[in-house]
Amino acid sequence: MNGPFRLDGGLIDRARALAFRFDGRPLTGHPGDTLASALLANGVRLVGRSFKYHRPRGIFTAGSEEPNALVELRSGALREPNTRATVAELFDGLEASSQNHRGSLRRDLLAVNDLIAPFLSAGFYYKTFMWPKSFWERVYEPAIRASAGLGRLSGEADPDCYDKGFLHCDLLVIGAGPAGLAAALAAGRSGARVILADEDFVMGGRLNAETHEVNGRSGADWCAEAVGELASMDRVRLLLRTTVTGAWDHGIYGALERRTDHLAGSGGKPRQILWRIYSKRAVLAAGATERPIAFGGNDRPGIMLAGAVRAYANRFAVGAGRHVGLFTNNDDGWRTAADLARKGVPVAAVIDARDQEPVAEVPGARIVMGGRVTATRGRHGLRGVTLATGERLALDCLAVSGGWSPNVHLTCHHGGRPVWRDGIAAFVPGDGLPGGMSVAGAAGGSFTTAAALAEGHGAAVEALDGLGLSAAAGEPPGASDESVEVSPFWHVAESRGRAWLDLQNDVTVKDVVQAHSEGFRSVEHLKRYTTLGMATDQGKTANVAALAIMAGQTGNSIAETGTTMFRPPYTPVPVAAFAGRSRGREFRPTRLTPSHDWAEARGAVFVEAGLWLRAQWFPRPGETRWRQSVDREVQQTRGSVGICDVTTLGKIDIQGRDAGEFLNRIYANGFATLAVGKVRYGLMLREDGIAYDDGTTARLGENHFVMTTTTVNAVLVFRNMEFARQCLWPGLDVHLISVTEQWAQFAVAGPNSRALLRKVVDPEHDISNEAFPFMACGEVGVCGGTPARLFRISFSGELAYEIAVPARYGEALMEALMAAGGEFGAVAYGTEALGVMRIEKGHAAANELNGQTTARMLGMQRMVSKKKDCIGNILSERPEMNREGGLEMMGFRPVDRSEPLAAGAHFLAPGREAVTENDEGWMTSVAWSPELGHSIGLGFIRNGHARIGETVRAWDGVRGRDVAVEIVSAHFLDPDGERLRG
Amino acid sequence: MAEVALTARTPLDGYAGTFGGVTLVEAAGLSLVSAAVPNGGGDAFAAALAEGFGASRPSTGESVPGDRLGARILGMQPDQMFILFEAPDPDRAAEAVSSALGPAAYVTDQSDSWAMLRIEGRGVRAALERICMLDLDDAAFPQGRVARTVMEHLAVIILRDGADSFLLMTPRSSARSFLHAVELSLANVSE
Repeated sequence: MNGPFRLDGGLIDRARALAFRFDGRPLTGHPGDTLASALLANGVRLVGRSFKYHRPRGIFTAGSEEPNALVELRSGALREPNTRATVAELFDGLEASSQNHRGSLRRDLLAVNDLIAPFLSAGFYYKTFMWPKSFWERVYEPAIRASAGLGRLSGEADPDCYDKGFLHCDLLVIGAGPAGLAAALAAGRSGARVILADEDFVMGGRLNAETHEVNGRSGADWCAEAVGELASMDRVRLLLRTTVTGAWDHGIYGALERRTDHLAGSGGKPRQILWRIYSKRAVLAAGATERPIAFGGNDRPGIMLAGAVRAYANRFAVGAGRHVGLFTNNDDGWRTAADLARKGVPVAAVIDARDQEPVAEVPGARIVMGGRVTATRGRHGLRGVTLATGERLALDCLAVSGGWSPNVHLTCHHGGRPVWRDGIAAFVPGDGLPGGMSVAGAAGGSFTTAAALAEGHGAAVEALDGLGLSAAAGEPPGASDESVEVSPFWHVAESRGRAWLDLQNDVTVKDVVQAHSEGFRSVEHLKRYTTLGMATDQGKTANVAALAIMAGQTGNSIAETGTTMFRPPYTPVPVAAFAGRSRGREFRPTRLTPSHDWAEARGAVFVEAGLWLRAQWFPRPGETRWRQSVDREVQQTRGSVGICDVTTLGKIDIQGRDAGEFLNRIYANGFATLAVGKVRYGLMLREDGIAYDDGTTARLGENHFVMTTTTVNAVLVFRNMEFARQCLWPGLDVHLISVTEQWAQFAVAGPNSRALLRKVVDPEHDISNEAFPFMACGEVGVCGGTPARLFRISFSGELAYEIAVPARYGEALMEALMAAGGEFGAVAYGTEALGVMRIEKGHAAANELNGQTTARMLGMQRMVSKKKDCIGNILSERPEMNREGGLEMMGFRPVDRSEPLAAGAHFLAPGREAVTENDEGWMTSVAWSPELGHSIGLGFIRNGHARIGETVRAWDGVRGRDVAVEIVSAHFLDPDGERLRG
Repeated sequence: MAEVALTARTPLDGYAGTFGGVTLVEAAGLSLVSAAVPNGGGDAFAAALAEGFGASRPSTGESVPGDRLGARILGMQPDQMFILFEAPDPDRAAEAVSSALGPAAYVTDQSDSWAMLRIEGRGVRAALERICMLDLDDAAFPQGRVARTVMEHLAVIILRDGADSFLLMTPRSSARSFLHAVELSLANVSE
């Protein structure tokens, strides 16, 4: 079944019918249709309501510049609002609905807004709805948002998936009209790697919409052949339905490929792909956008751009009306009359704003030269227009052409400003193009087919020359130069009623005049104040006429007035495409420790530590609260033995003749004197003298050390050390490589740790206290010869070791340790128990090393060796960082032992007001100590060591708590270290 | 003395998958040892490499085959090579390189640091272009080429070891995330 407005010819497949629905009404179209062309073919002219005034609106353009025909596509979770009907490719079963109305589209209750339009002029929301103040957020804004606007989001998760990718080419050609095709052919035939991208689903650009000839054949036929040739070339990649949305640095372009938008379903494949294209050169052949003339009532359905009316007739075989009029200021507009007449669509009138001889004869048409349209009529669609002479014409479609504006957008993405060219009354690309970009055809202001073909060809040849590739390109395709004469004409001054500039944002000529009178004269201010050029179309059809109105007000030329800045993206890109596949758990990678599966099988509760998942605790049957598990793990470790996977700590292999000297300079304390087979605790300072990381470093050989860092700083420390090695001291013979992933490492802590390890470490290794004392290290064998490294270090304060094996043996070692520990009741413990034990022992961790901490604050000032230099040494001597009575890390316990403590609390003297001047420090870490039976905390307080025994308040304004605490030593347990040396 | 010897587990448990004409397989059993060139020791290193592995010293981004132990020498950075080879005893891989190169290199075992996946077949580039920002065209990335890069936020060493074959190495701890990224790319481009 054919629509009542369907014509002959065109690029549609009449052999197949596609059923679709608009607002529930069943309609049909054909492959090759857009939703817009299919609606027009069926005589549907009213497709939406305007943004502010809820005016009836129709289809205005035939491309991505469409301001009006925004619809919702699909349903349920797949519903997508604000889709341009003019670029939505029709498919069988498509469901589309109009948006922004209450009640039906024809009887929109909010059309009442149009009656109160005088109160809703530019910037109304800056002036009204001011009282009472509290009403803005709760009443006015929600009401305005509900009545203004765009389509509705489904509110559900997007069921489609998206992807990203990276492409590389010698030449990127943006746009596949005559200029783009000529460029791609020239480059492709020369053997260059070419990417040709076009936003349409048929390549050819305006050649498919016009009746121009190329090489003596119809433009559309020539395009099809050219595309066929390009498709056969190995080095040419055609990206259909792909919009190049932005120009980034160094020839990198962003492009959105719509893979399945034109299909009923995505079939589980990515719906859209966001490409990053690395190009050596780019030719912008993005064409031009036609612009309207502003006149009274120029927003009714049926009033369309002349080139769009032509595109519907020639490409889509649709007559946009049955009594069509033309209102133009240029010769190109006359082509609409000629093409319609050729297609048998009656052209009732041609009104040309120029007072000159008619450009052509149009049979049966009333020709009005020097004419003006001042008003229109027709509630849900155009019924007629009135001319300045008072003459009334009955028309159901008025094709309007105010000339064409080159699509310069991508030339501006690096800050380039377009320049005005009088001859075509339009902005063309200025200086400051992105590097490697050239412009061809209409995008550069050359509007004829012959010029587009020649420039596209020439741009490709020049680009190839620049790349040192020989262009075997031949001659450009031939075509004639059509007449594109234009006389600037923007606005019918005699208009009756509102003359619209920006149809999408309901901005009228009067709004621009008002903005000017209120002092908003810069184009950027004009945009923000009136909303002109905002939202999905970014004013592609509206901007130039509005600038002309503003120029008229200020008395400046349009060239002096300038344009607003064009920024990416060229057309809207769904946030989902930016997200790509990075959704939910796949937002970022997950790092798993060697014992992860083992821990998971035992019900461990995990916590994210950067990208790592670490076991927090291992609940046992009957344990209903986390602290039951943690208390048990601590008590069993301190009472017998516990095992913890500490693989996440950064490990850096350091080798070289100068490795010791290098470490002397990296660490605040000395390492060159460390004996082989020994481990030392080290503290690192930033250049400004603040402590930033700590850990242990073991000397495995004369020229071989292995360093551990904190989990979070593993990469930072490595990077800083590489910088030091390569840039600060290139003369030192030092070589670094990360071995974080190479070794699975486990802490074995508790009084029975040695006894446990004795069962695992091969018997030829003596690990007795005498042979392997505190801070010893060495290479051993475990479980019958598996290579391992053993370190006698302790974070818990107990007799403790860390044992490392190649990561592939990590899980097996965990099992072996637990099996060997069975007789001791060994437990696996997680990061919470680890934290409790280090707080009990008074070890600083990330909470204390927060980027504000000096060695002195940590009680480690004596570690900053003055016998040598190190990074941060000099600046650590600044007076304020060494002031007597400064902050010192101390322990805290509640005076009432039943009170829990909270990290983040600030210390105040009793009776002092909670204000900054009275702040004496803060609590950094707290824990329930199973050993002591009450809460304990670490924190920084002024002059702490001199105040042991003093009571202060731990005031926590966030949680509303105020607890009396006693200042004590940070070493709650075994302050003399007898356990760990035992 | 423990009753049982430790059993090794590969990062991806011997994963193997097929997607259309592309196979994705965990490359297990290879040892990887880094060899750093001592400052001023370039000539000695080149001589040791020729003597120990029958290989010339690759420049950064290149790899060259050796003539024993199936070795390939990967140029990772100006003073660092990776030696990918079949160690007679994987538990002594570093020692094997150490004894081959003597004092001319500082060696560090990296075998367990990197999970290895071989992706092979026509269409391999179509899958990789979804996650790999490098140009894998013949001219830009010929056989034997090696590079460090990032895919889906993860460090990757990519070695082209055949016309349609790439060896991808990625940190062990996040190997499952990386495998998922490659599988998803293959699924997304398969017909």
